[in-house]
Amino acid sequence: MTYEQAILQLDDIVRQIETGELGIDQLTAQLKRAQELITFCRNTLYKTDEEIQQLLQDEKK
Amino acid sequence: METLTLFELNSRVHEAIEVGLPDEYWVHAEMSSVHVNAAGHCYIELVQKQDSSLFNEIGGGMIAKARATIWAARFRMLRPYFEQTTGQAFAAGISVQLLVTVEFHELYGLSYVVEDIDPTYTLGDMARRRREILMRLEEEGTIDLNKELPMPLLTQRVAIISSETAAGYGDFCHQLASNAWGFVFRTKLFPAVMQGDAVEPTVIAALDAIAAEQELWDVVVIIRGGGAASDLVGFDTYELAANCAQFPLPIITGIGHERDSTVLDAVVNTSVKTPTAAAEFLIAQMVAAAERLEQLTEALVSGITARINVERQRLQTLTLRLPAAYALRKATETHALTLREERLRTGINSLLTARRHRLEIVEKVLAGASPEVILRRGYTITYDADGHAVRSAAGLHEGDTLVTRFADGKTHSQVISHS
Repeated sequence: MTYEQAILQLDDIVRQIETGELGIDQLTAQLKRAQELITFCRNTLYKTDEEIQQLLQDEKK
Repeated sequence: METLTLFELNSRVHEAIEVGLPDEYWVHAEMSSVHVNAAGHCYIELVQKQDSSLFNEIGGGMIAKARATIWAARFRMLRPYFEQTTGQAFAAGISVQLLVTVEFHELYGLSYVVEDIDPTYTLGDMARRRREILMRLEEEGTIDLNKELPMPLLTQRVAIISSETAAGYGDFCHQLASNAWGFVFRTKLFPAVMQGDAVEPTVIAALDAIAAEQELWDVVVIIRGGGAASDLVGFDTYELAANCAQFPLPIITGIGHERDSTVLDAVVNTSVKTPTAAAEFLIAQMVAAAERLEQLTEALVSGITARINVERQRLQTLTLRLPAAYALRKATETHALTLREERLRTGINSLLTARRHRLEIVEKVLAGASPEVILRRGYTITYDADGHAVRSAAGLHEGDTLVTRFADGKTHSQVISHS
């Protein structure tokens, strides 16, 4: 996924929440997805490739 | 006819030139090489090319050539004067207008000694050359191509065209690496020569190298530091401009000049004054992206909070309405039940009353029909000897015994006669 794609998906989720399109049941799942996207974007902006690789390694453990 | 020595012949040429060309002459020419020696004297090779306008054909179409000299004392004055006026370094590749005297030396041959220079010619020539290149690119429809490329959301992977020793390169990298927001940039230097003739071929080669791996890069920056006078003429070429205009990634130039821009600046996506400004531009793009991310994050949080509050409110309202609704419903149902009860009661009563009534009538009828009532009325019932009631006189004979039942008892009698 590219940063652009992530941002667009995040845009979509926020819009869905704001227009009330999102049912209460889906709220939790979409919130989780949004948090994942935000983490991805933040990593892209502030972490080098090496640091990201390290993070992924740590997550697997 | 006499035979001369070489010296003699050369002397005659010397004299002829002194006599025939005694004045100072203004001349236009292109400087194909400029060399300043240790003593400060400037040696120039002047050329005139066949079609001097659009193309930078190396070595081709030359129709005149000559050497020129500027003696140190004169050069010390002319060079700063020229460079300050034009903002262009006094170097090979530019066209100049010189005031010269013609000298012929028996040993060293023909040379022109430069007394003065008119910088406005060079300015005009440079401007003309740029105009021509830009017009050609406009005709070809390529002039806006790089400018129309959208700047990517993240200007994070930066391909740098510069010289490792160029002023500005080190500072540029340092600026990116130590930006106040902590953004991570990835850079790679694609080296090229940043002044003189070699600019065009080396920069184009660097561009080709970047194009070969373009998916690895977001933007290209072409940077070099500069001073008041920089040797920028190398950047004013058609080939370089055409290459940049059609390059698939956005190009940012920061080639450090104070005055008017080169052709390159006119065709690339973004042109800034210095390498520092270029670094600032890239960082600003990242700041914009980071801000958008933060806005989305905030919108997410406030959106979800608002949504949950709406649901809580809904639940709250329902909870409050529940007791009243229940009570109302209960009352309604109870009432309905009560009504039914009453109807039932009323109905049953009616039924019982009607039945009772009928029963009473039957009872009365029955009562009215009983023998005791008849007897009490004064009638009698007659029974024959077998105990059957006698209803008609016809079956009776004289002598038959009869029992007559009265209300208050019976008598026995005999038939005497009937009539």
